[in-house]
Amino acid sequence: MDSLIDTFHIDIKLLIAQTINFAIVISVLYFFALKPLIKVMKDRTAKIEKSLEDAKKIDEKLDKTNREYKKVLADAKKEANAILEKTQEESEAKRVVMLNRAKEEIGAVISEEKVKIQQEKAKMLKEVKTELADLVIASTEKVLEKKIDSKQDREMIKKTVR
Amino acid sequence: MDNIEPTIEHFSAEEDVSTEHVTANEHAEIEEHVSDEHVVADIHEEVSHDHTLFAEPIFNIGNFTVTNSLLNSWIVVILVVIIAILVKRNVKTIPGKIQNIMEMVVDGFLDIFDSVTGSRDKSLKFFPLVFAFFVFILINNWLGLLPGIGSIGKIAVHDGHAAFIPYFRGGTADLNTTLALAIIGVVFSHIFGVMALGAWKYFNKFINIKALLEIPKKFKKDPSVIIVNPIKAFVGLIEIIGEAAKVASLSFRLFGNIFAGEVLLASMAAILAFGLPIPFMFLEVIVGLIQALIFAMLILAYLTMATSAEEH
Repeated sequence: MDSLIDTFHIDIKLLIAQTINFAIVISVLYFFALKPLIKVMKDRTAKIEKSLEDAKKIDEKLDKTNREYKKVLADAKKEANAILEKTQEESEAKRVVMLNRAKEEIGAVISEEKVKIQQEKAKMLKEVKTELADLVIASTEKVLEKKIDSKQDREMIKKTVR
Repeated sequence: MDNIEPTIEHFSAEEDVSTEHVTANEHAEIEEHVSDEHVVADIHEEVSHDHTLFAEPIFNIGNFTVTNSLLNSWIVVILVVIIAILVKRNVKTIPGKIQNIMEMVVDGFLDIFDSVTGSRDKSLKFFPLVFAFFVFILINNWLGLLPGIGSIGKIAVHDGHAAFIPYFRGGTADLNTTLALAIIGVVFSHIFGVMALGAWKYFNKFINIKALLEIPKKFKKDPSVIIVNPIKAFVGLIEIIGEAAKVASLSFRLFGNIFAGEVLLASMAAILAFGLPIPFMFLEVIVGLIQALIFAMLILAYLTMATSAEEH
């Protein structure tokens, strides 16, 4: 052991000095370089991981929103169609009802008019008849120049006219 | 300690000699012209350029001897401090150039560590220590290769002949440095072990009292414990020797590689100073990186072993 120490000049003071050197190196390296560096690297890794996760979340959200939007749009379309159809049906029904009512009304008016015309016609016929009778009487009187009694007369006229 | 004391004093006595001086206790006449960059020595005697196994003392502060390797280590510390402050100033969420490189290194290391420790949590826990080993050793190794380190120095007289003493010597080319690092690493592995497993459980890894105490309890169920558990206790004792072996292997591996590299480069330069050392220079750059990596990974392996529960 002594020869070893002698050959290599091993000196406890130098050992201590080198230990101090190394202590300085490790502490400076750790506190000034490695600690902040590793912290920054860790932070960055965390940040990137978070960003990636966020991006994923955003993607998912976008997908969901898209799907919802499409669904809402489809629903709206369906609803609009339904409303349109319903309206069409309703208007059709209304049209039919109105048409029917108009027809009815027209029919009523027409029949009323018909009755009126009939009545008028009858009335006119009656009038014409009486007038014609009178005319026939007068003309017959003139022809006969003599009057049969009015009873006979009347019967005669009636026969003739008929 | 007592063995080196005279040597150091001898050196320091010589160092006070600044310009032309004739030493009193030696007979050699040496003229020294020491400038900042060059040593122009007009010497009557052959100056030996031996690579010593130990780092040479340069000057003294009180009774503390500063060696050329220690000087180099100090430069490394200053470099690390500057780099660390630069990194600290530039740390942002959106990385710049320096930070990108640093993050790449850190990330790469953490990935390698994961393969050893098996979990990212453990890797992060051990990372500062192991990475500091790597950085400190790597810069020390590479700084030892710079031109001027090992070649700028002065001439001192030692044991009757003049010897060239470089001002700087690779920090890891001194056993004191590598030994200190190995001791720190192994001690920390024990500290982490105690922290992870608890003092009693960790203590039983080495002196397995628990295994011996278990014998009467488990004997009825399984009579083989009477043989197995004493063996377990003995294996624990062997692990104590293993700890000493760890320190020795770590320190001598690093020291040997770096010192050998310096000797190799010097030898090549001695054969032909122009061009010949270049491939070996590249080789030494790689060796410096690999040795730093090996040291760091071994420390990491020790830390992992110490913090995992014993499973046989």
